[in-house]
Amino acid sequence: MPHSPGLSVEESGVTADAGLQGARSASDVARDAAFERDALPWLDDVYRFALSLTREESDADDVVQETFLRAYRSWHTFIPGTDCRRWLFTICRNVFLRSRERQRPTVDLEDGEQDAVAAGSVYAAARERGYDDIYARLDLAPALRDALDELAEPFRSAVILVDVEDLSYESAAEVMGVPIGTVRSRLFRGRRLLQEKLVTVAEDLGFQGAGVP
Amino acid sequence: MMSAPARSKLRSLGLSATCAEVLTHLWDYLDEQITPTSAERLRAHIATCAQCRRYEEYQECFLRAMSSLKQELNAPHSLRERLAVRLKGQGCGCWDKVSRDL
Repeated sequence: MPHSPGLSVEESGVTADAGLQGARSASDVARDAAFERDALPWLDDVYRFALSLTREESDADDVVQETFLRAYRSWHTFIPGTDCRRWLFTICRNVFLRSRERQRPTVDLEDGEQDAVAAGSVYAAARERGYDDIYARLDLAPALRDALDELAEPFRSAVILVDVEDLSYESAAEVMGVPIGTVRSRLFRGRRLLQEKLVTVAEDLGFQGAGVP
Repeated sequence: MMSAPARSKLRSLGLSATCAEVLTHLWDYLDEQITPTSAERLRAHIATCAQCRRYEEYQECFLRAMSSLKQELNAPHSLRERLAVRLKGQGCGCWDKVSRDL
């Protein structure tokens, strides 16, 4: 089974049924039932987040596999009743960062307001040119996916966690290991950059103003 | 405290004080990150200001599009199969639940 060179995968998985042989204890059965109920339903969500981090499907596959294997091995550390998806996202991000041997990105952005205002300028400029309705006229999903691919970390993580996965600022802060204010500033920067890219896409497509005032 | 570049940008846009407040805090408002009092003030202004209402609709449309991406991308079947094999190797009793096809 192929793995990215940077990924640390302890188990090959080829020994297959070793753990299933013999009698399983009641605690094993209970753990597996809890893992199935609380962790497995989030596979698609973790995959989307992993893909947003790696941008490569094969790398995302490796990160997701490692995330769930670690989650299974560390299941005793999961606190029942807490947000399992957030717990998995945190593991996923850590797996990704370790796989790339990266330091946790540090971006000094104090001012989300500056990006909020800048986004307003982007809108004002689009409106002046008569295509402030681009979200209605543009095929948004593929354009957004392309724009997200080009968006740099850590802005991409903030946008994916809050806007796509619908995490609260607080949960996203926990996943990313940063203060809530940093999530806000990264989120606002990410949104502003995405909206700038969408306007560029509209211009490249030759959008004409629908009704210039 | 708003930064100097943000203040300068707002002045250049020639907005009223409340329009400027909407522009600056609309994302906080839509994300429900501001106090109920502030939210009510912005809501009341947006209800009476066509310009701010259009901007709110523009941003809501963007956020809806972002949220809809969630429905478009799921873990591929090949990944589910590989993960099931790996979990089985770990002794996980629910490995066959990773993919309904297994």
